[in-house]
Amino acid sequence: MAGVRVASAAGPGSDTLASALEAQRERLLPCVHCGFCLPACPTYERLGDENDSPRGRLHLMQAVVDGRLDAASDAFHTHIDRCLGCRACEPVCPSGVEYGTLLELAREAAARARPPALPTRLLLSVMGSRTARSPFFVGGRMLRATGLASLGARILPSEGVLGTGRLGLAMLAASADGTDRIRRARPAGGAHASPLAEGTSPDTTPADPESPNVPSSPSDPPSSAFSAGRRARVGLLEGCVQKGLFERINAATARTLRFNGYDVVPVPMGDCCGALHAHGGDLDGARRLAQRNMDAFERADVDLVVTNAAGCGAAMKEYGTLFDSDADLADRAGAFARRVRDVSELLEEAGPRPGAEVPCTLAYDHPCHLQHAQGLAHAPLAVLGAVPGTEVRVIEGADECCGGAGIYGITHPDLGGRIGRDKVAAVRAAAGDAACTPNPGCMMQIGAGLRLEGARADVVHPVEILDESYRKAGYYE
Amino acid sequence: MSVPLSSKTVRDLRSIVGAAHVITDPDRLLAYESDGLTQYRAAPSAAVLPASSDEVARVVERLHGEGIAIVPRGAGTGLSGGALPSEGAVVLGTARMNRILEVDPDDRLAVVQPGVTNARLTEATRPFDLYYAPDPSSQSTCTLGGNVAENSGGPHCLKYGVTSRYVTGLTVVLAGGRVARLGGSGRVASGGLDLTGLFVGSEGCFGIATAIEVRLLPLPASVRTLLAIFDTMEAAGHAVTGIIGSGLMPAAVEIIDRATIEAVEASVFAAGYPKGVGAALVVEFDGTEAGLDADADRAERCCLEVGAREVRRARSEEERLGLWKGRKKAFGAMGRIAPDLLVQDATVPRTRLPHVLASITEIGKQYELRIANVFHAGDGNLHPNILFDRADPDELERVERASHEIMKLCVDAGGTITGEHGVGIDKRAYMGLVHNETELDMLRRVRGVFDADHLFNPGKVVPDAVETPAEPVGSERASAAHAEAGAP
Repeated sequence: MAGVRVASAAGPGSDTLASALEAQRERLLPCVHCGFCLPACPTYERLGDENDSPRGRLHLMQAVVDGRLDAASDAFHTHIDRCLGCRACEPVCPSGVEYGTLLELAREAAARARPPALPTRLLLSVMGSRTARSPFFVGGRMLRATGLASLGARILPSEGVLGTGRLGLAMLAASADGTDRIRRARPAGGAHASPLAEGTSPDTTPADPESPNVPSSPSDPPSSAFSAGRRARVGLLEGCVQKGLFERINAATARTLRFNGYDVVPVPMGDCCGALHAHGGDLDGARRLAQRNMDAFERADVDLVVTNAAGCGAAMKEYGTLFDSDADLADRAGAFARRVRDVSELLEEAGPRPGAEVPCTLAYDHPCHLQHAQGLAHAPLAVLGAVPGTEVRVIEGADECCGGAGIYGITHPDLGGRIGRDKVAAVRAAAGDAACTPNPGCMMQIGAGLRLEGARADVVHPVEILDESYRKAGYYE
Repeated sequence: MSVPLSSKTVRDLRSIVGAAHVITDPDRLLAYESDGLTQYRAAPSAAVLPASSDEVARVVERLHGEGIAIVPRGAGTGLSGGALPSEGAVVLGTARMNRILEVDPDDRLAVVQPGVTNARLTEATRPFDLYYAPDPSSQSTCTLGGNVAENSGGPHCLKYGVTSRYVTGLTVVLAGGRVARLGGSGRVASGGLDLTGLFVGSEGCFGIATAIEVRLLPLPASVRTLLAIFDTMEAAGHAVTGIIGSGLMPAAVEIIDRATIEAVEASVFAAGYPKGVGAALVVEFDGTEAGLDADADRAERCCLEVGAREVRRARSEEERLGLWKGRKKAFGAMGRIAPDLLVQDATVPRTRLPHVLASITEIGKQYELRIANVFHAGDGNLHPNILFDRADPDELERVERASHEIMKLCVDAGGTITGEHGVGIDKRAYMGLVHNETELDMLRRVRGVFDADHLFNPGKVVPDAVETPAEPVGSERASAAHAEAGAP
């Protein structure tokens, strides 16, 4: 199967760059130029140039299709590239224009006309290959563990090439476990007298097995009690960045799902989801990775495919569209896509079972690819709702992109920096013990932003908090 | 073809607003070639995005000094082509002037820059239990500068009135870069003639408002929203006449027809409107709690008397917002059922609604066009949406003819050619249907007081003494839109 090369959507005449977009005419035509997307767009809000608005970008795409604009033009390249891909324009579009899909095609057209910058190409080739990825992340973890990443983020200058390095190191440092302080916190009173902690029952000690919040006897071995076919058999996408830098979140995902009755099976041959490639204009690369995942998860014979990264979930849910022009694979990809779930969806569906008190206040931010691309705003909050003592403050402007957007901060330091600083300001205004968001890219972006401002930079994923809650309750013993 | 500015002019503009905010690349000017009325396209010679009143004044002074015309643009959501660039003109966009300068809850006033969106002003004033009343359907994205230019309305203008009722003062940049303050502060009465009132609704032909002072209203304490379902559009029209005739004062009365319901229900804003029915009528009452139920009961009876199939009431704020969302996003949702649409805008006496609606249906049949109706029925403001595909030149031609007939029908029924979208470029040719030469001459002279040389939004609203209508474009390159002067 791996030998099947997928024909590009552009077909044989790929030099006519408009043809890929041409094939998507029905996706473009619904745009009636109403402009409802303008205020939802972070780049338009900040730049005021309509070329940097969703409507403007669609207009540029349409102009390419109509032969009025060259896909190699500076205008097409710059403005298509400057899009964050946050897709905040989709839920506000009355005509249902599939902007995300169109953007990927436009990126492909632009990338063929003009290859992307070196850092982008390097990143894509590293992420797309297991052999390259592994040492890359070993190095990353070493920089992180030795504190060199953190040090570099502190001492490097903020401008120029070294500034880019500084941001990269800050993001790496921000991928570190952010639950430490939360783990050590004492319930109710003391430094952590958050309003919600005061409201919880004072006699609920963290590890008390008789806690009223625990519905069933903890002496039941949870995994066996619930995993005997009562809920779906799920395969976890280990991913590229998650596996490389966030293995702890993958582990927490598996544990919390098991405790909520899912049969979690390892799928070691799963690969990078291909989101970075699709967003970067390398649709062929994305299709290759998608096919590897389809092979691996089908072989593992799972009911559902689960991920804890918003970006991966959004990408895999759209595998069907990715293979739109491939009659052989479209159905299979569509069937795969329908099985994809974010971890929060599964946990929400299961309840989820409450654990012990974790007294903390979290400044929560919605990842764009969960809220806008998958329409999942409530599920992660439901996960956190199962943790007594945890207060969730959804930050101001949580529906706006954090500026992470893959490697946007590196490719567009000025604009990405502005968007990131606004997000960090909102996180700080919420004054939580930690920032919380269920996507690795956003976690690193926000963590790096906090770090570069010299603020406390703990960032956690919701399942880490639920996991900690279960651990404290003794469910895993 | 766009006419490039001289490099000296470009340099000067850049020094005023910053290099990044002067767009001269023809590829990048494509985004500015139309507004919400995409039948017309024309490339400007540049787009300039100033950030302050002072920058606007300097840009205007610089361009007018060379005799270069300026086309003001807010969010480009207009539906009459008001922001369509004209030959050689520079688009002046207000997108970067998006700050709320002041909210004064005690005096119930706000002062905003022109690029602030309508909905954002209400969001910013809601913490004080205040809001900005005019609510165009595009309120989430349209700007207050654009609202001032178009004297915008919206569903709730039935009870609350249009933009001109709320604008109490303006700072405006006039031709040549002169700055004037019109009206006083809303805190004190202004003296003399009502220049503010004259400026509101001038469609960008008088100058550019750079600071806008508006009145705010207290949020209504309570609301009742009804949804009445009818088998025929005609019956819905009779219900409107009945409700208004009975002396009730609804905040809004909106009609959505079968085709529109289809489009909305197919969109992400599906509001739970029943499918396959002739028309749905949304009626809303607001104010103090006492008496609202009685009003709603009476309106319900009015609907049932003329044969409403059922009348529902929104039971929660969520349901109410859902009903409105479907209505307000209807225009955009049309993209679901047709590639292109032309939204007409005309007003007829309320009592003539059933007749006019039936005739519009006939016109649709005659020209083999789908026409979806969604409109502010309470004040007789019709929005027939003609659905088409511009790739079909024959259909485009029929759209033009049908559109003209609808206009004529409305005028003959005692109505007028626009309710709230403005005249812009699209209705200019119809001005002769509602104004005689004396009136047109007055309009030209009033315009001359503000802008004698037609350097703001030339060719819009008031027809020149010798008419030169723009031609709509098909799928071919659009720069010819203004090149040819044709017969009227």
